[in-house]
Amino acid sequence: MIPQVYFIALVFGIHIVAVNLGIALSTIIPLLKRKADLTRNERLDGIAKGIFRIYAAIYGIAGVMGTAFTVFLLSFYPEFIGIAGNITLLPFGIAILSILVHFLAIVLYYYGWDSFPRWAHLSSGILLAITAYTIPLGFRLVFAFLNTPAGLKIDGKPYIDAFEALANPTFAPLYLKSIFGAITFGSLFISALSAYRIARERSEESSQIYSTSLRIAVIGTFIMLILGPWYSMSLISTPMKFNNIFRSFGWGLGGVETVDMSWLFLIKIILIAVQIYAILRLMFGNVNFKLSALATTSAAFTILTGEYLNMFSQYPYFLANLPIVADKIPEPWRTVLGRALYLENVSPLANDPTLLSITALGIAILLAAIGYFIYETLIKEE
Amino acid sequence: MDLIGQWLGYPAPLDRILSIIGIELHWIILQYVLGLPLFIILSLLLYARRRDEKWNEMARTMTKALGIIFAVGAASGTLSEFGLVLIWPNLLEAAGRYIFFPLYAEIFAFLIEITFIYFLVFGWKKIGVRGRLILAFLALIGAWLSGALIMSVNSYMVAPTGIQASYDPMSGWKYDKGYPKVLLVVPKEIVSVLDVNKLLSLGMEVLGERNEGVAVLLPSKIVSKLASESWSNVRVGDSVLSLVIKEEALGSVKDLLVKDIVDKILTNTVKSVGYTMVTFLSPVYAGSILHALGAAITVTGFTIFGGYSLLLLRSRSDKKKVYYVSGMKLGIFLGLIFIAVQGLVFGHIIGTEIASYNPEKLAAMEGTSKGIFSFSRSLGIERIMSFIAYGSFEAKLPDYDSIPQDYCTLAGAALDCRPPLMLHYLYYFKTGLSVLLGLYALISAILVMRGSLSPALLKINILTPIVAHIISFLGWAVREMGRKPWSIYGIMTVDVAHTANPGDPLSYGLIALIVISVALALILAVWKLLYVPSVREV
Repeated sequence: MIPQVYFIALVFGIHIVAVNLGIALSTIIPLLKRKADLTRNERLDGIAKGIFRIYAAIYGIAGVMGTAFTVFLLSFYPEFIGIAGNITLLPFGIAILSILVHFLAIVLYYYGWDSFPRWAHLSSGILLAITAYTIPLGFRLVFAFLNTPAGLKIDGKPYIDAFEALANPTFAPLYLKSIFGAITFGSLFISALSAYRIARERSEESSQIYSTSLRIAVIGTFIMLILGPWYSMSLISTPMKFNNIFRSFGWGLGGVETVDMSWLFLIKIILIAVQIYAILRLMFGNVNFKLSALATTSAAFTILTGEYLNMFSQYPYFLANLPIVADKIPEPWRTVLGRALYLENVSPLANDPTLLSITALGIAILLAAIGYFIYETLIKEE
Repeated sequence: MDLIGQWLGYPAPLDRILSIIGIELHWIILQYVLGLPLFIILSLLLYARRRDEKWNEMARTMTKALGIIFAVGAASGTLSEFGLVLIWPNLLEAAGRYIFFPLYAEIFAFLIEITFIYFLVFGWKKIGVRGRLILAFLALIGAWLSGALIMSVNSYMVAPTGIQASYDPMSGWKYDKGYPKVLLVVPKEIVSVLDVNKLLSLGMEVLGERNEGVAVLLPSKIVSKLASESWSNVRVGDSVLSLVIKEEALGSVKDLLVKDIVDKILTNTVKSVGYTMVTFLSPVYAGSILHALGAAITVTGFTIFGGYSLLLLRSRSDKKKVYYVSGMKLGIFLGLIFIAVQGLVFGHIIGTEIASYNPEKLAAMEGTSKGIFSFSRSLGIERIMSFIAYGSFEAKLPDYDSIPQDYCTLAGAALDCRPPLMLHYLYYFKTGLSVLLGLYALISAILVMRGSLSPALLKINILTPIVAHIISFLGWAVREMGRKPWSIYGIMTVDVAHTANPGDPLSYGLIALIVISVALALILAVWKLLYVPSVREV
């Protein structure tokens, strides 16, 4: 694989894990706050606000990495951005507006914590939660399109039929898997956070949050055990991707195979097994921070490996089904899309080794800064 | 003349209006990200020198504001970034391919900003005044570096490196000689298939060999036609290129896409200049970055002045009054200095650059058309304006009515190539408002120094940030609307830059409504959360 892909994968990986955590926290925090309001529990209110501060830091990290991701895409693959921009107004439009409204909700919810009337604060919390689900709705539509281009029409120019795009066989399992994966990971994160608090100072609120979030994580993990195979089965519609993941296990569909990614799938399965093991022990044992941290870490890496598996298993194509659909695309679009959707077709000016070395150094500094930021905001004050 | 109709008549009017809303929202916020670090540094320096706690408190307040504003700016930046990709994808593709470096490097400038702004916000209590000064200085470097990088791309769009304008202030327009012309370095393998004599007869000038190619100046109407064909996926055989390719070579290249040929030429051109430097060498870059930074500091200064005037108006505590007056002084002195520098120095630099490299825009700004009421003509200051623009009373301002309507296209007059004439009124309104604000700032500064702070004066002061924002907006409007119908002057017109699948008016209206609502909600939030508690304290 070419180095540009690794740069993109690195920043995207961090972005997507942060985003997943954000989806869960945007849901859980308003619920905790609501409970604190109804029961007039100030300690619970304080805990919810503490978690919200963590979310604000996570959102910042996701934002920086998301920006880096789009800038790398624009610089390395401008032709892909040109094509994507021309045909994805609807899905990206939904995502962008949701990002904007979500950000507004963060500001209102954070600064209005003790100063807004209760109904107004709750409303901004609901807005926070809803937009956390509409952001990935738009992006996952694009990801599903990059599996198989359902709804792509070429009538003098390429465009997308929105209803056909929504019927993409990989869209529903991909979106639901993302959402439930995020909630599972986020619940485990909160349970680990609560276990840490309990280890320092036992309180009824922390114990309640711990047990509730663990229960949600158990349900989420169970649902993921159904959604994971569903998404895998939906990949039958993208044989190359399916083959790249499963052919080494003897489950190939025949046809194109580009890179063997079965090893990454195996790592993902091991991580899921570790997660289940840790959750089961936590369910039937006492509060244990180390085990909670293990479950959370394995969930985070499960998400990361899942995303990488999804991404790398279609290498060297942006569009996994390109080899299959290319014959049906009329010229000159076949030529244009053929190279715009080919990952090894890096923009010549951005293929400078010096630029890549400096980028590596810049990313190292960026990660060090994020590490310090996490230490300052998450570890030092908690 | 229907001035608004003329502006709306260029391609993609709704998309342009939506872009104005999104980018202006981002610019409103960015001005504070660029301006506040400087005011924080000054406050901290005053604190370090005088050990007067009020300066430390002022720096702390501005740091808090910077923390909130930067976060909002990051979100509005994401909106602008995706908005540009979706509405102007072909422009973004071209930018990503040929002038990507400043956009690429900006991510690291963004990192510097976010790191040091938030270390300053969160680490305030843990570090001394020297540490705060260092962090504020690094935050300033990050913000200004970010601005410098993005402004270089915008400057390139205003005047690409190597552009030769179509006007000579002594002899007049040069359209008959094929100007404006674009610098290109054509690779030798492409030169070998071209009929050079035909190209010379069409206005091409050969400058000599450079970077494994031949440097030429090609009329922009040919360049823009090639850009249009590139993004329409035309093949060489169906292109205007086929008319200038040697007959014996046409058979082997006719099935190639024009985009591939253009890509090789542009890549070689950028390589010959240097891909890291190409945007910074735009002839309007120096004036552009200075004028943008000046605008940001001016707006920030008047905002501080207006904000503290409002607090002073509501204050009943004498101790607080002293603090608010100090804030007013800081705001008005920097506001006054920078509005003067903007008008007399930075504005002049960018004005002369525009006169030399965007003469059509200058013609519209000065309203040299007989079809409209012109302020410069009515006031009899045309010769003064030409002296200011070109440094000679003998020079003539470019005549708008002599600009050929089709100078930017080979296809005839389907597209009006002249910039919108409403620019004249926007520009003079902006200039008039700037002079008024500058005079008001001078009077206010004197009154603040004398301690003559009547409630009526304080109430007017509150309006100064709004006026400063209007001036800043009008400046950008003149710059951006004045480039129409070009997206990249001399190279790409808006119809080529535009998406093939635009949204319908209803969806655009809805998007605009959401964006404006979010902006209003944020203003309301700042009012409720920052201003209201401040008033309670006074």
